[in-house]
Amino acid sequence: MAIIEIRNLTFTYAGSDEPAIRDISLNIEEGEFVLIMGRSGCGKTTLCRCLNGLIPHFYRGEMKGDVIINGLNTRKHTVAEIAQIVGMVFQEPENQLVTMSVEKELAFGPENLGIPPDEIRERVERVIKLMNLENIRDRAPYELSGGEQQKVAIASVLTLEPKILVLDEPTSSLDPASATKILEIIANLNRLYGITVVLIEHRPELVMRYVTKIIIMDKGRIIMEGNPREVFSHGTFEELGIEAPVPVRLFHMLRKRGLGKMNIVPITEDEATRLILGLVG
Amino acid sequence: MIEVVDVWYRYPEGSVALRGVSLQIERGEFIAIMGENGAGKTTLIKHFNGLLKPQRGEVFVDGINTKESSIAELSKKVGVVFQNPDHQLFSSTVEEEIMFSLNNLNIDADEARRRMEWVLKLLDLERYRKRSPFSLSGGEKKRLALATILCMKPKVLVLDEPTMGQDFEQKMKLAELLQNLVRKGTTVVVVTHDVEFAAMYFPRVVLMARGRIIADGVPEDVLTNDEILRRASLIPPQATKIAWEVSRELEDFPRKIIRVKELYEAVISLVR
Amino acid sequence: MAIEMFRGFEFKRRDTLIHRLDPRTKLIMSLSILVSSLIFDKIIPLLLVFLISFALISISKSVTEWYKSIKGLSVLFLIILIVNSFAYSLSFAIAMCIRLVNFVTAFSLFFLTTHPDDLAHALISLRIPFEIAFAFSMATRYVPTLAREAQIIAEAQMSRGLELQKGGFLQRVRNLIPLIVPLVICSIKRALSVAESLESRCFGAVKKRTYLHELKFGLWDFLMSFAFLGLVIWSAVTTFLVGYPRVFTLELPI
Ligand SMILES: Nc1ncnc2c1ncn2[C@@H]1O[C@H](COP(=O)(O)OP(=O)(O)OP(=O)(O)O)[C@@H](O)[C@H]1O
Ligand SMILES: Nc1ncnc2c1ncn2[C@@H]1O[C@H](COP(=O)(O)OP(=O)(O)OP(=O)(O)O)[C@@H](O)[C@H]1O
Ligand SMILES: [Mg+2]
Ligand SMILES: [Mg+2]
Repeated sequence: MAIIEIRNLTFTYAGSDEPAIRDISLNIEEGEFVLIMGRSGCGKTTLCRCLNGLIPHFYRGEMKGDVIINGLNTRKHTVAEIAQIVGMVFQEPENQLVTMSVEKELAFGPENLGIPPDEIRERVERVIKLMNLENIRDRAPYELSGGEQQKVAIASVLTLEPKILVLDEPTSSLDPASATKILEIIANLNRLYGITVVLIEHRPELVMRYVTKIIIMDKGRIIMEGNPREVFSHGTFEELGIEAPVPVRLFHMLRKRGLGKMNIVPITEDEATRLILGLVG
Repeated sequence: MIEVVDVWYRYPEGSVALRGVSLQIERGEFIAIMGENGAGKTTLIKHFNGLLKPQRGEVFVDGINTKESSIAELSKKVGVVFQNPDHQLFSSTVEEEIMFSLNNLNIDADEARRRMEWVLKLLDLERYRKRSPFSLSGGEKKRLALATILCMKPKVLVLDEPTMGQDFEQKMKLAELLQNLVRKGTTVVVVTHDVEFAAMYFPRVVLMARGRIIADGVPEDVLTNDEILRRASLIPPQATKIAWEVSRELEDFPRKIIRVKELYEAVISLVR
Repeated sequence: MAIEMFRGFEFKRRDTLIHRLDPRTKLIMSLSILVSSLIFDKIIPLLLVFLISFALISISKSVTEWYKSIKGLSVLFLIILIVNSFAYSLSFAIAMCIRLVNFVTAFSLFFLTTHPDDLAHALISLRIPFEIAFAFSMATRYVPTLAREAQIIAEAQMSRGLELQKGGFLQRVRNLIPLIVPLVICSIKRALSVAESLESRCFGAVKKRTYLHELKFGLWDFLMSFAFLGLVIWSAVTTFLVGYPRVFTLELPI
């Protein structure tokens, strides 16, 4: 059974005349690493809000269709219930850190659920170790760098022990080195702990090697879905506002030139290197 | 056009943000400033229009020392567009928003009208002129914020993270627009974390780390210097990484490649 | 300047006896200073209260921050001094100034040494609902953020040629519109986005919330609480029942 199941989902924000997402159907299996791509305003964020019940419980509007998360229909369960399965990480770290110390931030979610202090302590310690936060555990949010803040934001949903992490452009304000670190952490959570990841990211090249499924959206619809190699064998999708990784772009330029009998699209730098060496060597 | 001479700056209650920065920017240059979070990029560009005055050292704009001029005067010469358009939009229509900047200029009504039309057209905002700025999408708001600065016809245009949250198409359009301005003689300085964007369009790249400039030159040199990039918390463009990998096997494969087009050409020339 | 003044009330993490006290104890101490300063209206006893509270500020190693907030209010002190010495006497005016200093000190003592999360915790243990207490600690949490945002907005508008100091009074008030509108809009957006993230972390999920750290009332807490409750009782007794001792009523000759 798919851990995320979306059936004919259409959502229109209250006060807007057009649906932000239209007739989306999608299955995501446990352990997948899903990347959502598409031009600005195509409905990526809206889709993510549907995954933990923020839509329809927090954002008003008209929702058609159903979202089933690990067997729970989001219409019939509160955000707090779904949040224990789906951890959400947003763009701006500043707005996700609501207490004045890292340790308290991690405890905040479980405290809200009324979990006994002993168990909270255990979870907090576990996540501090997992995310390597020992040396900053007493710091206030404003004493942290942007990258550390985002790390804490991720850690603070991990204490809810979710099976799914949904991250909406978590690295957009970070420099490339910090962004790489955050994305590597996310990839590790996926690979080592089997957490299902749904990610919106404008620098897909940093995670492409871990991605098992790409979803390309346009005007509220999913227009392409599948394994990255499969999806990018159809083109670079520039017309959809997407910045395809350089290996993919190189592949299509070479193919246009009628070079070789290339069938498999390189999506990582290593694969591109092998492709070039194969061509010239 | 802009001359920064050994500038030091420290925020009250903060650490030292600039430690002896010197930089020469000539008329009509197109420059990307890059570097890690907290490197001092934003602090540096705030010195260009006098929002900050150097605590040590000097900044000259068009020959004028910023210490001897006001922000209002300097901002006619140097237009700074900040990261988040929400920080400056406040009027009830797009036209009024632009008019606010023009009114601060003391130009006559005809000229103001002309500039308004020019900038609305240039940034493709004509159909929104009567709309509220708050009803625009993220990309449109960013264009409007740029319009409110461009209408003042600054000689130097400075943009802080203009590509953040923008998709590929919007980025390309922005780059085209900036290139056009540069061609007409405007000096353009862009702060960005986007390595691919910098590699694609900019003839000069300045790298900062910990309040200092650690590299300054053509992107083919700066963005292919592994050691310096690491110090600035940057990673090389993808095309560069691929070229390096290939050149480990093929000695004569060029290593100073930064764009996909060059990579493609290098491959083609070897296949023949 | 306004921002500088708030710095005097912003929590600073330090390891001192005062910082380690239970937040409820600090609440009692600060309230006691407030109340006894309200009851006394003569220079000498007010000075006595001041010395006690200043000693506490010194113990908590927060004199610099405290001084900043006092300095921020210097205009107010001047007004009080002038108005009261014309209306009543110089002695009374000075007493009122000391009273104000004591108020500020009481606030500083509490806010400088109490972690905002503990503040919320203390309020809850006084049976104030979690939501309200949490709103308080959120407000303190986001004061610096808001101050920084206001600064950025001012810089963005000045870059468009806005001159805040230009024109007459009316013009200056109108100059504030380009600052206030974006600030309000950004704050609303931020509040929404914070709410979204709170929601996603089960905020308000169950009636009975738990806490990682439970508050503990230690020996020092008892001692301090008793001492300061004593101060209030003593000030009430001397003022309303037995009357001031002679030294308390000493006044300046004018
Ligand atoms: N809270 C809201 N109320 C009303 N309309 C909204 C709201 N949030 C988004 N929209 C609209 O819904 C559509 C989809 O927006 P969404 O934010 O999901 O796009 P996105 O793909 O995440 O874009 P970006 O890449 O710019 O973040 C847009 O037309 C947007 O204007
Ligand atoms: N208003 C301020 N008050 C105190 N310190 C500040 C202030 N603004 C910036 N700083 C500090 O000055 C240093 C340089 O900051 P600056 O904003 O110039 O960096 P940046 O290169 O623009 O970084 P980013 O890529 O994150 O935007 C940082 O250490 C920062 O914490
Ligand atoms: Mg989005
Ligand atoms: Mg910056």
